[in-house]
Amino acid sequence: MKPFILNWPKPSFRLFKNKKRLLFPILAIAGPGLIAANAGNDAGGIATYASAGAQFGYRTLFFMLLVTIALVVVQEMCARIGAYSGEGLGSLIREHFTIRQSSFALTLFVIANIGLVVSEFAGIAAALQLFHVSKFISVPIAAIFVWTLVIFGTYKRAEQLFLILSLAFLTYPVAAILAHPDIKLATNQLLTPHLLYSRSFLLIGVALIGTTITPYMQFYLSGAVTDKGIGPKEYPKERISTIFGAIFANVISMFIIIATAAAITKRGPLASAAEAAIGLKPVAGQFAKELFAFGLLGASALAAAVVPLSTAYAVSEAVGSERSVSKSIREAPIFTGLFTIQVIIGALVALIPGNLINTLINTQALNGIITPIILVYILIIANQKSILGEAANGYVFKTIATICVGVIGALSLVFTVVTFASWFGIKL
Amino acid sequence: MVYKFHLPSNKSTHKRLKDLSDALVSLSGITGREIVNQEGQILGSLVDLVCHWDSAETYPPLTGIIAKVARRNVWIPISYTESIKPNRIKLNDSKLDLREFKPRNGEVRLTKEVLDHQLIDVDGARVVRASDLYVAYIGKQPRLVGVDVGYKPLIKRLGPSVFRAKVSPDSVIDWATIESFGNQDSNQPKLKLSANRQELRKMRPGELADLLEDLGRQERQELLKVLTPDLAADALEEMEPKELEGLLRESSIESGSKYLASMEPDEAADALRDIDENLRNDLMNIMPKDKSSRIDRVLKYDEETAGGIMNTILLFAKQEDLVGDIIEQLKNSESDLGSLNSIVITDGDGKLLYDLELANLLIADKNTPLKKLMKPPATVTVAPDASIKEVAEILVESRSFSIVVVDSSEKPIGRIYADDLLDVLIPSERFHFPRLLSS
Repeated sequence: MKPFILNWPKPSFRLFKNKKRLLFPILAIAGPGLIAANAGNDAGGIATYASAGAQFGYRTLFFMLLVTIALVVVQEMCARIGAYSGEGLGSLIREHFTIRQSSFALTLFVIANIGLVVSEFAGIAAALQLFHVSKFISVPIAAIFVWTLVIFGTYKRAEQLFLILSLAFLTYPVAAILAHPDIKLATNQLLTPHLLYSRSFLLIGVALIGTTITPYMQFYLSGAVTDKGIGPKEYPKERISTIFGAIFANVISMFIIIATAAAITKRGPLASAAEAAIGLKPVAGQFAKELFAFGLLGASALAAAVVPLSTAYAVSEAVGSERSVSKSIREAPIFTGLFTIQVIIGALVALIPGNLINTLINTQALNGIITPIILVYILIIANQKSILGEAANGYVFKTIATICVGVIGALSLVFTVVTFASWFGIKL
Repeated sequence: MVYKFHLPSNKSTHKRLKDLSDALVSLSGITGREIVNQEGQILGSLVDLVCHWDSAETYPPLTGIIAKVARRNVWIPISYTESIKPNRIKLNDSKLDLREFKPRNGEVRLTKEVLDHQLIDVDGARVVRASDLYVAYIGKQPRLVGVDVGYKPLIKRLGPSVFRAKVSPDSVIDWATIESFGNQDSNQPKLKLSANRQELRKMRPGELADLLEDLGRQERQELLKVLTPDLAADALEEMEPKELEGLLRESSIESGSKYLASMEPDEAADALRDIDENLRNDLMNIMPKDKSSRIDRVLKYDEETAGGIMNTILLFAKQEDLVGDIIEQLKNSESDLGSLNSIVITDGDGKLLYDLELANLLIADKNTPLKKLMKPPATVTVAPDASIKEVAEILVESRSFSIVVVDSSEKPIGRIYADDLLDVLIPSERFHFPRLLSS
């Protein structure tokens, strides 16, 4: 009966056995906590850290140490909320707060995110300015590009390219070491309190908080933990990964500060992306500018799609069109509309004449003002036994978390008051 | 049924809707309103309405109200009320006995537990969130009759309370087509689906998969529990692999492995591929051996090869077997015949001789040996390491519904159906983003 069989012994040579898994195993192991924390190192983050280094040398390191503690506390709560309640932050806020409180949180979330979208487009503009492309050309093209990638579903593929580009910033620790920083001074200023009362220090401080503890990331983290099906069983592992991720991200941030502080000796606010790129000179030499530009471009483009998507998701869910979100993006008019509007607003605001670095830092400061308010919601949820059962904040943790939120809130409040006052010509 | 109230097509519907909205009491509108006695004296304000869930009734009856009287939340049974109007509740002249509210079995607080929570709209096959709930008198009994899922009630709830009493429904869904989750047992804060579960069982697997993906964790587990194992398995097969992975992680090992065992092996393997090894081993170990080995056979292969997408459930026969015997065997087999359309004929060594479509058995005489039905063209097969593209090309060329996968010694090890191939070839259009506002 042999003739009836026709086998197909065609040898197949495939170079990449599993193409799509080339890059992502690392991320898969890393878990949501690491991704969430590291996404803080986006365009706004780089600009803020570099500016902190340029303007204050190592003096913000102690402050960053405090921010790291706060980030660990906050992200641990968010991951725990996700794991034990099985719901994202947004859902919990809608279910456990009144409609007014929920919509207040949602509004702030939207404002913070629009700020981020602006900063991502400013980041793209700043990156391409290093290649002498005017922002009036780069920003509209980038907006159309990002929009098209998302709407036509090809974003996932581009994402990997952006991710690889953004890895350029991982060279900062090397740059920091090669720059021969004053280690004694840096250690000293890391470990002893160094807080200055000046408006510029306040601005950088709030921006550092805003870019490190982004409201968006807290929503993302609890959602991603839930989405991965991580429950109480798997939580101990997830907790370690979350805490590790938060610390890792901030170590990188501190290296950015150190590298810039060591490379730029003339203390003053960062004037341009070209100046920020000097921080990478010890690693890349004359190509520092290019390396910095690629990193900035990758990081910005990555977030320029994800942040408006998350806002669109949050809003369309809040008004009850949940189903449209899991459908194809082209079939969901509200969702697509919200996404489009944000891209347009983000691009337009980024085009307002002015210093791009200032735009970047200001949007992070806006996030910094909003962060403590969102943290209050997170804290209230994490404190409640009726939601988290045994995993609700214990007495000690509650105290630590409340202090963190309180200090951040106080700082934001002072900053807001001082800023408002300065608008009316009052110097506090 | 979704009534689009903002699109009145003609006058008569408009009037009907108006009559309807006059009879409706909006939950968000009445919350905080005064509760008066016969003399019109204000006794307190409304905190919440309480319904009885776990009844076979389509529209859950109100069993009482929670009122704030002298800064204390007290329970007033429905028998003490005379009328529930959009802006006030009037009590009858029974003597009030002010007690604290203690939920009895099946009792649900509408504002606290249903409003703003997830519900299933069975007709629309979607997960919705209640932006308002409507109560109406049916006979003498006030009942929960509808849910609003539009955004207008949300905007109204943001504004001052004086504008809330007037009902202006947006997208109202009849409660009869709603599946809700609610606290069943007061001691155990666990969610339970309420009545009309039959409706859920009539839904298509794809629709159920959408629901499972959209629901929160507890709700999802609850929905799975009320489905029959087969339907649950069908629905799980339709889920996105990433979502299914999450679901397996959050389920107990026992139920997770039960779901996997009743799924088609290729789909089960797809879900298990990216899951961490410990959990995968746990899930596989407590599964019956035959079930786990057929999943294992798929897992061995890369997911982008023929072996990785094949279904390892095969019907075997020998060429000497008679058509009648095979039909008898099929009658007694436990396999899901819907997904099997061919039978593989092997020789004494287990090597593939021919792949026979079941339809041939229908027209053949009962006493014919299968050998007689083996006619050219020859059966086309693929090796397990063939790429998806090759499989697709071969399947198109052979013009059949499925293709047999044989190992190096020509023994059949699985079968790839056209629909499995479609699943792989057509990239998922669905856009998945980590849920931010729901879970």
